[in-house]
Amino acid sequence: MTNDIWIIATAALVAASCALVGVFLILRRQALIGDAISHSVLLGIVLAYIITDSRALPIMLGGAVIIGLLTAWLSDSLHRVGKLQSDASIGIIFTLFFAIGIILISLYAGQIDLDQSCVLYGEIAFIPFDTLYIGNLDTGSGFDIGPRAFWGIGIVFMIVLSSIIISFNRLKTIAFHPSLALSLGINVIFWHYFLMTLVSMTTVASFEAVGAILVVALLVIPASSAYLVARSLKAMLWMAVGYSQLAVLIGYALAFWLDSSISASIAVSAGLLLFVTIAWQKVQSKRKVLQSIESA
Amino acid sequence: MQPLMTYSTISRPINSSASRALKGLIGLSLLLLTFSVQAQLKITTTTGMIADLAQNIGGQYVEVTALMGSGVDPHLYKATQGDLRRLTKADIVLYNGLHLEGKMQDIFEQMGRSRPVFAVSSLIPKAQLRQHGHFPDPHIWFDLSLWHQAGQRVLQILQQQDPKNKQAYADNAQPYLNEMLQLHEWIKDQVLSIPKSQRILITAHDAFGYFGQAYGMQVEGLQGISTASQFGLQDIKLLKDIIVKNQIKALFVESSVSPRFIQSLVAGVKAEGHDLSIGGELYSDAMGQSGTPTGNYFGMVKHNVNTIVDALKNAKPQP
Repeated sequence: MTNDIWIIATAALVAASCALVGVFLILRRQALIGDAISHSVLLGIVLAYIITDSRALPIMLGGAVIIGLLTAWLSDSLHRVGKLQSDASIGIIFTLFFAIGIILISLYAGQIDLDQSCVLYGEIAFIPFDTLYIGNLDTGSGFDIGPRAFWGIGIVFMIVLSSIIISFNRLKTIAFHPSLALSLGINVIFWHYFLMTLVSMTTVASFEAVGAILVVALLVIPASSAYLVARSLKAMLWMAVGYSQLAVLIGYALAFWLDSSISASIAVSAGLLLFVTIAWQKVQSKRKVLQSIESA
Repeated sequence: MQPLMTYSTISRPINSSASRALKGLIGLSLLLLTFSVQAQLKITTTTGMIADLAQNIGGQYVEVTALMGSGVDPHLYKATQGDLRRLTKADIVLYNGLHLEGKMQDIFEQMGRSRPVFAVSSLIPKAQLRQHGHFPDPHIWFDLSLWHQAGQRVLQILQQQDPKNKQAYADNAQPYLNEMLQLHEWIKDQVLSIPKSQRILITAHDAFGYFGQAYGMQVEGLQGISTASQFGLQDIKLLKDIIVKNQIKALFVESSVSPRFIQSLVAGVKAEGHDLSIGGELYSDAMGQSGTPTGNYFGMVKHNVNTIVDALKNAKPQP
């Protein structure tokens, strides 16, 4: 039972962080940056391995974070400096990084097991087993303070939340009126990179906790659902978080019922919620049309 | 419980001695039932090969579940919600180790601090392991003398965790492990029956290193150790040279790796006028469906050896 609670709690934190960041990505038309980072981190892992000759998690994570940042930064710069569409620049940077990673693997690391899924991506079902503890467990003087992934992603969530609260007005102006922001003297470029840093940090930390597919889904789907119904940025952020939490709960129940992968079930639930939202909106608009005909 | 209840209601109108006998029988069966329920250790393993070891050594005293089913490539395994339960409810968790389980291994090591979670490869001396750089090759079940050591490790674990059935485990293990050693010798003989120049095993990925080392075959794989790694043009050219130079007659596909690359390699070499075919399907990272001959470890090993020997032996010696 405690295991289920830890998994749901960690998934809820991942979902909330991704949903919040995802809102800004949707508004900037960079929704697939998460997917891009999930591929390009391969280069970070391979480079970290080649340099240190180790597959330890902190080193892999370090390499992944750096390349994640570079992916987000470079695709953003390519978009602004090279005047390419943002989706095209994401596609260019991540395929380039991924391909370099593959070449490096076949050159230097072909004989060992080295890819994202085996050294970086976490498995949400095993979160409760990887715990942090204070003191020495073996002698019985220490005690368990819960899963490492929970605390890691908890810190990321606090950073994301406080950044958005503190810089809400600036981010809002930049998202909707970039030229106004510029004329108001807001350092638009700084905030672009700031946001990309948040994105990269959130995605890599979430990959490590719950695996790639769930993170990519949570970055895009709850924010998209919220985009359909929300009327303001604040409402969109709240609704994205709401959608993501609902997806976690429904998804976990689904995984329990079907004995299936937890992350896939949560991703599927998020998708179902989106379709339900669209269907509901269609019904609503039809009803409005009918009402207006009746009244006329 | 259901059938026992109906027996006792039926027994009421019958005469007393018969009913007493019946009651005794029910009592005995209840006793047996509770005994077997209490005594069964729940063991959860990662691969089917380890499950097979645990089942054969544990016998009636254990209930074994494998997380990775037949045909599942351990590199690509995804956990389900139920796997969480299978791990938390297990009295003993056994895994291969040597990084076969990838990132899961860190979790097993963590779990091992507070619970009976063990790597079956832990007793094998480092000198007997094949190394790739600093990292050992995890496919130890293809050298039966190494797997024999894994079996001894499982026996040791079971005896430690369940001391009151110590003797029973030893009695189960002995014939099983002996058969394994016999099979080890049988494979050596089988491989010797292949013409020396033909003792080259070419498969999709590099899983058969231990097999080659133990039984005297040169092993070449199209992919590296991990099924996720890619191969380059150079790799294909090298393999083609080996095939042509040694007049290799057969390559092998694996049950848990896509046969596409091997098939296209065969087609490519054939197009250049060499006689090459696919010798059959080998079970590498997972066993066959349970209930079929290859659904247990010995069946899988025999199938692999027979497939290899049949395909390479029929090759004509070099002119």
